Formats: sequence, C-alpha cells, structure tokens
Amino acid sequence: MARRYDSSTTTFSPEGRLHQVEYAIEAINNAGTCVGILAKDGVVMASEKRVTSGLLAPTKSSEKTYKLCQHAACNVAGLTADANILIDQARLRAGRYEYQYCEQIPIEQLVEHVCNYKQAYTQYGGLRPFGVAFLFAGYDAHHGFQLYQSDPSGNYSGWKATVIGANNQAGKSLLKNEYGSSSEEKEGEMKVEGAAEEIAMPDVNEALRLAVKVLNKTMDATATSPEKMELFVMSLKDGACVHKILNKDETQKVIDEVEAESSAAGDS
Amino acid sequence: MSILEYNGAAIIAMTGKNCVGIACDTRLGAQAQTVSCDFRKVFQFNKSFVGLAGLATDVQTMNNLLTFRKNLYELREEREMTPRVLSNLLSNLLYEKRFGPYFIEPVVAGLDENNEPFLSGMDLIGAPVYTDDFVVSGTATGNMYGMCETLYKKDMEVEELFETLSQALLASVDRDALSGWGATVHIVTKDGVISRELKARMD
Repeated sequence: MARRYDSSTTTFSPEGRLHQVEYAIEAINNAGTCVGILAKDGVVMASEKRVTSGLLAPTKSSEKTYKLCQHAACNVAGLTADANILIDQARLRAGRYEYQYCEQIPIEQLVEHVCNYKQAYTQYGGLRPFGVAFLFAGYDAHHGFQLYQSDPSGNYSGWKATVIGANNQAGKSLLKNEYGSSSEEKEGEMKVEGAAEEIAMPDVNEALRLAVKVLNKTMDATATSPEKMELFVMSLKDGACVHKILNKDETQKVIDEVEAESSAAGDS
Repeated sequence: MSILEYNGAAIIAMTGKNCVGIACDTRLGAQAQTVSCDFRKVFQFNKSFVGLAGLATDVQTMNNLLTFRKNLYELREEREMTPRVLSNLLSNLLYEKRFGPYFIEPVVAGLDENNEPFLSGMDLIGAPVYTDDFVVSGTATGNMYGMCETLYKKDMEVEELFETLSQALLASVDRDALSGWGATVHIVTKDGVISRELKARMD
C-alpha cells in the first residue's frame, strides 16, 4: 500500500513519512560499521574495513576516514561514490569560510552545511537522496572537541559516543552501558531521585579500547585483526589539531589490550 | 602614477647549489608616505616561497587565495604542491582575471620533488618566465637587474647566496624611494628554511 508513495522523494506518505529517505537509511545498515567516541583530550573514530578483493590496488591513505580541513575529519558509512561528492562539498565549504574570515570554521557550521546540502535532495528536483551517513570529528576554539552524526535525511546531532553502519544497535547498547563507566559506584549508597548520572569522559586511550570493543561486537568475523579495522584519533598538539590513523603495530597493540582486559574480567 | 607603484616593493629570488633564496623589502607606503616597515610580501607554501610585489590589498588577497587552493590540493591529492605546480596555479588564477587583473607581479621560488631549485616570475596577467639564475619584481627592477647581473654566480653555497642576495637587494632599494625600510631573506635547502632579517637603511 505504501508503494504508491515511495517512488518519489518529494512526496509524503499518508502516515507522514518520506519513504525514499527511509530506504536510503536502510542502505547504510548494510555498510561497514563506524564507531565514534568523544574523549576528554580528543575524538576517536574506528571503522570496519570491508576488503572485497585481494586484487584491489591500494589508492588513497584511507577508505573510511577523510580529512576535511585542518581541524575536522569524517568517517563514512554507505555509498562511497555519494560520499565523495559530499566530502568535496565539505572541504570547499571549510576552505571558503577560512578564505573569507581568516578563521577556522566552527564544526557545527560545517556539519550543518553538509546536511543542508543533503536535505535539498529530499525536497527538490526528483533526485534520490545521498546514501551516506557520516561521523564528523572536529575541534574548534568555541566548543572544544565534538562528535556529530548525520544521515541521508539531512538530520544531524552531536554525540558523546555513537555507531553507524551494520549492527549499530548492538554497538549503541554496548556504548550505553560502558561509556563513562570508569567512575566507580559506591556500594549501598542510595541514588538521589532525578539526579543525572555522572559520566566520566574517557581519555583517548580508553576511548580507543572501547571503540575496538564495540567493533569486536558488531563485526561478523570472530577474530579481529589490524587489517580489518581502521583506528583514527584526533587530538591537540601545541595548540594545533593532529589527525592520526594508527598503523598496523599500534592497532594490534590496542586489540591486544582489549583482549587482555576481557580475559582478565572473565568474559563469557 | 602607476597602480603597481602605489605601495612599493622589491623582491629578488636566486638559485644556488641545491638551494634557492628569496629576499624582499618590508615597506608599505601610500605613495610618498611610509605606513609600515614590517609588511610581509613573501609567503611560504611547504618548500616553495611566493613573493608578491604590487598593490598591497591584492598581495594579501592572493596569499589567502593561494593558501585556500594549496589546502584543497593537499586534501584531494594527499601530497604537497611542487613549486612548478604552484607557479602554474598562480598563472591560471591571474589569467582568470585577464580583463580586471590583480595588480601584482609575483615570483615563485622553491625546491621541487628532487630538491632541484625552481624559479619563475610572471606579469600581472600570468605570463610566466622560467629562469635558472634569478628573478626580480617590484618598483626597483632596473636597479635589481643591474645588481643581480653583476653579483650573481652559478652554484653558490648557502652562506654565499645569502650574502649575494642581501647585497643585491640592499643596494637596489637604497636608490628607490618606494622600497626599503627593512628587509627579510629566506634560503630554502632540502634540510629546511633559514630566515634572517637584514639591518637596512630606514629611509
């Protein structure tokens, strides 16, 4: 019955839904998982690398993480071809802002610009929406480190930790339990009704371990190895943003630390 | 009065043995009146330097534009722009404004991917010239050509190149009312950049 209203982006269904946008969001649930975690001193993004063929020639430095400007980077889940257009848009926007104001673009404004661009494809022209979800990691002087998620509808929100792509629900529930749980709860103390739980932000290394833990849960393969995941860290050094993609040894080290943690805790 | 002579400038770039040097004055004037003695006209882009002589507003605008394009290039290509590519980009940007040009006459100096010296100069609409000895630009070009032609030798080492550049620039600007009031020299080698301020006549 909904079929009548789902072939055009620019038509609402009787239930008030935009089916094309929802189908676009579905397309992303088949893509490689991306985890983003906000830390005290940086942002961590980890993604699952899906190598479709051993014959593929290595092209750019990364297939999942893209630098947008000196102080922002993003992770992609979905159609890479669609993502390339949006990434170029973001790079141009950041560059033009800096050209005009001689100042770095605030992260939220950059995210909003990309999202406004995506939104246009859900309202005008009879073109299909972009089949991409992004995780944006950035730093600006106004709000410090930030993490944003955006989807094909053009909607975005800021997160302390989130997951996109395949098995993101499983990832999100793990994050809900484990993010910021490094603060110890005292036994027998009564929790005050309505008081907000104190979330202790992890540091970059804790965040890396948590990200790998989430990927372990969401990835199909039982054994995790550095070839299957890409770890990205954004941090500050001497007042300037540093983007780092961990190499094979560093990735292996984090995987080993997570392995050690889980066997020490006696995981089932 | 020519628009290119409103603010005043003097820039020389020279090649040495596995190095390049670029020197400029630091005066900013409004015709006869001197407004500033620390106005930068030479800008660094990785291993290349771009010296911009001419109208000060266009000098600053072109610097911002080149920075924008250089950043975009590095994001897309994941590598640094070589001096030759930078020079071609600059030439293209200038010709885009063929019938309403930027009033600047730039020089580009740098080390290419094999650490070989590269020099180029161009006019305000982007016509480039590539040389292997020196390029000059600004309000004292007559003086600078004379000094460079006399003092230049091939394959000078870093210290000698520095001396030659400094003497050529200082002597040229002292006979020109619109340039001078301080000078800076940068020498680029494969190991890095050495920058020095020169003690010049402040008149």
